[in-house]
Amino acid sequence: MTLDQVILFTVDLLALFSIYLIINLGLNLQQGVTGIPNFGLVLAVAGGAYITASLSTRLAIYLLNVHTNLDPIVNNVSVLQLVNPILRSSPSLSIGLLALFLVIGGASGALMGLVSSAPAVRLREDYLAITLLAFGEILNVVGTGYDPLIGGPPGTSLPDIFGWAGQYRFYWATLIMLLVAVMIFVYMERLVRTPFGRVLKAIRDNENTARSLGKDITRYRMSAILIGSILCGIAGALWALYSGAVTPSYDRFDYTFLPWLMILLGGMGSNIGTAVGTLVFVTLDELIDYFKYSFAPFLPFNVVWLNYLLLGLLTIIILIYRPEGIIREKWASVPAAPPPSPTGEAKPG
Amino acid sequence: MMALGVTLLYRTTKVANFAHASLVTSGAYVAYSVVVVLHPNPYVGAPLAFALVGGLGLLLFYGVLEPMRRRHSPTVMLMVATLAFDIVLFGVLNIIADDLASTYLVPSRNILMSASDFTFMGQPGIFFVAVGILSLCSVVLYILLSFTTLGIALRASMENSSLAQAIGVNVTLMLAISWFAAGGLAGVSGALLPMWTQVNPNTGTVLLASMFCASIVGGLDEIYGAVLGGFLLGFVDVVGTSVLASSIGAWIAFYEPAVPLVVLCATLILAPRGLAGFLARRRK
Amino acid sequence: MASLLSVEEVAASFGKLRALDGVTLSVEEESVTLLIGPNGSGKTTLVNVITGFQKPDGGHIYYGGKEITRWSPQRVYRAGIARTFQVPSLFSKLTTIQNLLVADKAHPGESFLKSHLRRLWVKHEKERVEKASKILQTLGLTEQSDKPASVLSGGQMKLTELGRALMSDAKLYLLDEPISGVNPTLALEIFARIVSLRKQFGVTFFIIEHRLDIALRYVDYVNVMASGKLVAAGTPTQIVSDPKVIEAYLAR
Repeated sequence: MTLDQVILFTVDLLALFSIYLIINLGLNLQQGVTGIPNFGLVLAVAGGAYITASLSTRLAIYLLNVHTNLDPIVNNVSVLQLVNPILRSSPSLSIGLLALFLVIGGASGALMGLVSSAPAVRLREDYLAITLLAFGEILNVVGTGYDPLIGGPPGTSLPDIFGWAGQYRFYWATLIMLLVAVMIFVYMERLVRTPFGRVLKAIRDNENTARSLGKDITRYRMSAILIGSILCGIAGALWALYSGAVTPSYDRFDYTFLPWLMILLGGMGSNIGTAVGTLVFVTLDELIDYFKYSFAPFLPFNVVWLNYLLLGLLTIIILIYRPEGIIREKWASVPAAPPPSPTGEAKPG
Repeated sequence: MMALGVTLLYRTTKVANFAHASLVTSGAYVAYSVVVVLHPNPYVGAPLAFALVGGLGLLLFYGVLEPMRRRHSPTVMLMVATLAFDIVLFGVLNIIADDLASTYLVPSRNILMSASDFTFMGQPGIFFVAVGILSLCSVVLYILLSFTTLGIALRASMENSSLAQAIGVNVTLMLAISWFAAGGLAGVSGALLPMWTQVNPNTGTVLLASMFCASIVGGLDEIYGAVLGGFLLGFVDVVGTSVLASSIGAWIAFYEPAVPLVVLCATLILAPRGLAGFLARRRK
Repeated sequence: MASLLSVEEVAASFGKLRALDGVTLSVEEESVTLLIGPNGSGKTTLVNVITGFQKPDGGHIYYGGKEITRWSPQRVYRAGIARTFQVPSLFSKLTTIQNLLVADKAHPGESFLKSHLRRLWVKHEKERVEKASKILQTLGLTEQSDKPASVLSGGQMKLTELGRALMSDAKLYLLDEPISGVNPTLALEIFARIVSLRKQFGVTFFIIEHRLDIALRYVDYVNVMASGKLVAAGTPTQIVSDPKVIEAYLAR
């Protein structure tokens, strides 16, 4: 491979990595830290993507003072032809809009989180997992059926907020996404080390005891779901903006199953584990994608299905032989260090 | 009329949940059996589907779940495992579909076999066959579970596996049987499905949510709950949609897949243990 | 001295089994009171009922003058009554010291919003860590302080459970067999500590225990239960020579 190809590959990989890292951190908080089996992540991710997409063009028109009679969704291509030049000429305006869209993405995620938390209050384990899975399906139905949202099956495009970077568009976009992902990672690490994080883990380990210690279980669980969903919403919005367009095809495989696989691989409960799992996985996945066609002559079937087979089998193997993942959860210690006992500083993990 | 017809659809895709972890892969089984059925007379394929897909169920159990159970994996992990199995199966099905298409030169996606159905009293044969098979299965199950030694042993291991084991019940065998049967049922549902609607390797995934809704609405605790749930769902779906469509406008038909979910929500709020649980409580 | 906790004619049953059959007793403030009785006499059930884990069929429970008969466990806990369990219920993936730190009625850092500003809770956290460390030291668990609770031995788990109760700043401690599985030297030390805590902070202990050889040395009063009823109450010397008590134990 040439240097150019390697760079392209890496950039591609990092973009994907950033998005998934955000989603997975959200899932980790819910499942790894608090013990809530959210099999309906796709709801929050798609929610972030679709709602942001839906509002993005409309807001762009409004804020940039573009006058048009065209419908922002149905005629999105034409409308965007008016909007994009403005964005391309002004990086600060674009970044500003980006921030706005991310907030919208997060808010949409929160909304979806609220929806998801309703059953989470009453149900546990299997029941909850199944229900959340079912919930996850609903958004695609709405997206496909309700045209004003994102234009039905063909979907819609979003304003080109990375356009100002010209030919370096993808590099800058990836950089920004990576930045957002890192910021979120740092935030999550700090969150987990607070007394709040401690209570979440306690709830995961033994809910009844936590309750008898006076903790409001419902509130904590809801918080975990909300935060996780906000993260997913942001990721969804980011991906939509990066891709430039959205179709109602955000499916369970990509956004629920894969995140589970990734946090399993890396080790549930620890954020670093999540990051490692995400990195390893995304790298593997990209490698499979890039090289599968060279395997084609050796395989008796169409390589397109290779991903499914390999990933499914990989998950099963991990579950049987090493369910803790690559990095076991290290007990994040308490920050303060009083004289008599070596309470320890915050360990990585 | 239509209502009854679609009720059928939901009934044939019901999932009888008697194993502990949920069978996420039934959908894949469904499509699988469809492919098997492709050749001879459509109905003939059903028993074959039962056996083969039941076998898949066993594969899932022995290959994946048993090793995990022995390591005391939490329930959630088992569910993820079934999800993974589902993914693999999806890949395999697609491969088979491709293979069928190229080898036999038949379309292997969007299969619809209603054309080769027989009619009886003006209704497509599927109507009666599905109802018939459903009734047969329900009755057999009921008798099996209530009156035979095997059935009692099965129920014992479901309720309290360590106790059952202490009495000498081979719990592992019981579970294996459950999985086989569940797989078999899924297979039959799948075999019948293309009589009614188009089927793809993807169909299972799409219908999965409805299946779970039917189960939960009916109540996961009792077997007959699944039947009730399927009925109710099918009914509400068709009747509800057509009623709404005529009063509000045809566009609402697009939301048809959301109907099971709405019913699910309502059920969770009003009767968290499903219809069966609701009825059981009334009886007390 | 005033009675801090009083139980009047409390009855409770599991289906047809009457676990508590009209139990009446009271616990003096700032005392160390023992509850003994053969297995199955209803001791743990009584504690469960007092702390809200089980609802009684009848009777009343008063704490500090207020009726707390059907309060939920959280409410009872917040009112200042802490309990330990016969089977330790720790948080297995948290460290020993973290297990103690979670037992906090009002830690500002535990609220999601406030947890963002370290300034708001850092001081409180430091105090709690200090307290927890001291308690762990008394219980001989300092070396296990940063290890996950899942690696502790049975006896160590009981001690941690006790430590957690002690963190709670409660006024009344209901301890369910706190030294079972603990070696005699440490057990004596623990009881000694309990007594000195009572003096230092003016708290009250109500303890279920079987190891009379150790317990009787430190307690002020003893209550004896059998078959869901209270059969005797008094000072240790009185109880030891009470024929009803001997009968209750032998009859089982």
